[in-house]
Amino acid sequence: MNEILNIILKDTYSLSDLKHRLNILKTYIVQNLFGVDQSTQKQPAETDLAWLKSLSPAFFQNFNKDNTYQLMSELDKTINQLKTLTIYVAFEPDSYSLILMGKYVRKTFSQPEKTTSSTNFPILLDIKYDPSQIAGCALVWNGIYKDFSLRSGILDKRQLILDSFKKYLR
Amino acid sequence: MPYLPNSITIILGISTLITVILYIREYFLRKKDASSLQKISISTKQKSIQLLNAAEMAETQIISDSNYITQKLISEYKTQLQSLIETSGKSITSSQDQLIKFIANLQTRSDTLEKTSKDITEKKINDLFERLENRLSDFLIQAENKTTTSLELELKASRELIETYKTQQLKLIDENILAMMEQTLNIVLSKKLSLNDQLDLIYESLEKAKLEKFIV
Repeated sequence: MNEILNIILKDTYSLSDLKHRLNILKTYIVQNLFGVDQSTQKQPAETDLAWLKSLSPAFFQNFNKDNTYQLMSELDKTINQLKTLTIYVAFEPDSYSLILMGKYVRKTFSQPEKTTSSTNFPILLDIKYDPSQIAGCALVWNGIYKDFSLRSGILDKRQLILDSFKKYLR
Repeated sequence: MPYLPNSITIILGISTLITVILYIREYFLRKKDASSLQKISISTKQKSIQLLNAAEMAETQIISDSNYITQKLISEYKTQLQSLIETSGKSITSSQDQLIKFIANLQTRSDTLEKTSKDITEKKINDLFERLENRLSDFLIQAENKTTTSLELELKASRELIETYKTQQLKLIDENILAMMEQTLNIVLSKKLSLNDQLDLIYESLEKAKLEKFIV
């Protein structure tokens, strides 16, 4: 199950994407395994289809009629336990920006080399929109909030900024 | 009337006779009276002429007496008048002299008095001016000091007010400048920062978090 999750998480960077992809995956697998009438089902988006196609056939072999639902429920439970880094950004990133951010986070806060334990999953992002950040971002990790944005920088250098403004006041 | 009774004729005749008699009697009486009156008047005339003569004589006497007395009185009067005039003249002269002296004395005294009063007045005026000058200078000095003090107080109050205003404004700016800056940056940067710039800034924040070991 961890391997399945790792494969899914390989190019899934945000929690919302993960949940969405799991739903797509579940629907796809159920459709293929149990032959649900596709005409009545909503067709997945092109990006979702592209992702599904990017998954190797070996991946889908992990699922069969007996273990699909069990695997899915375990996946759901595991997802809730995944480490999530909440990022407050000043703009609404598109999917590409999200991928870039996700890659950068994983590269920056990379896990130690693969260990025998497979419980170290990559960090997931939870992107939230906060225009008051101005630029940069604020992070929440393990329930602790810290502001690394431009707003925080202005607040930190408030006195310096005020002193520089006062030079222009008589 | 050829045939009037005889009695009536007799009566008429008698009455006529009586009347004539009475008339004649009356005539003679009157004549007598007239003559007596004439005599009386003649005597009266004589007496009156005598009286007149006496009166004339008395009058003449009186006139002469009166002339004499008048002359006498006039001469006496003249004499007395002359003496009176002389006396009066003397007294007038002496009075005049006295008056002249008095006036001269008065003149002298008034000159002295005038001079004295003039001196006194001058002195008083000088004293008054001097006091006025002193008081005026004191007043002006006091007024100047008070004005200076009040001006200084005003200036001080104005300066303090300016300082207070400045401080308040600076405080307002201090309180709001960051909000203003944030707002400005929000408006400006969010429109001008490209996606790459935003991402770069996010990467910087993440590097900072790594340095601070925020994510372990």
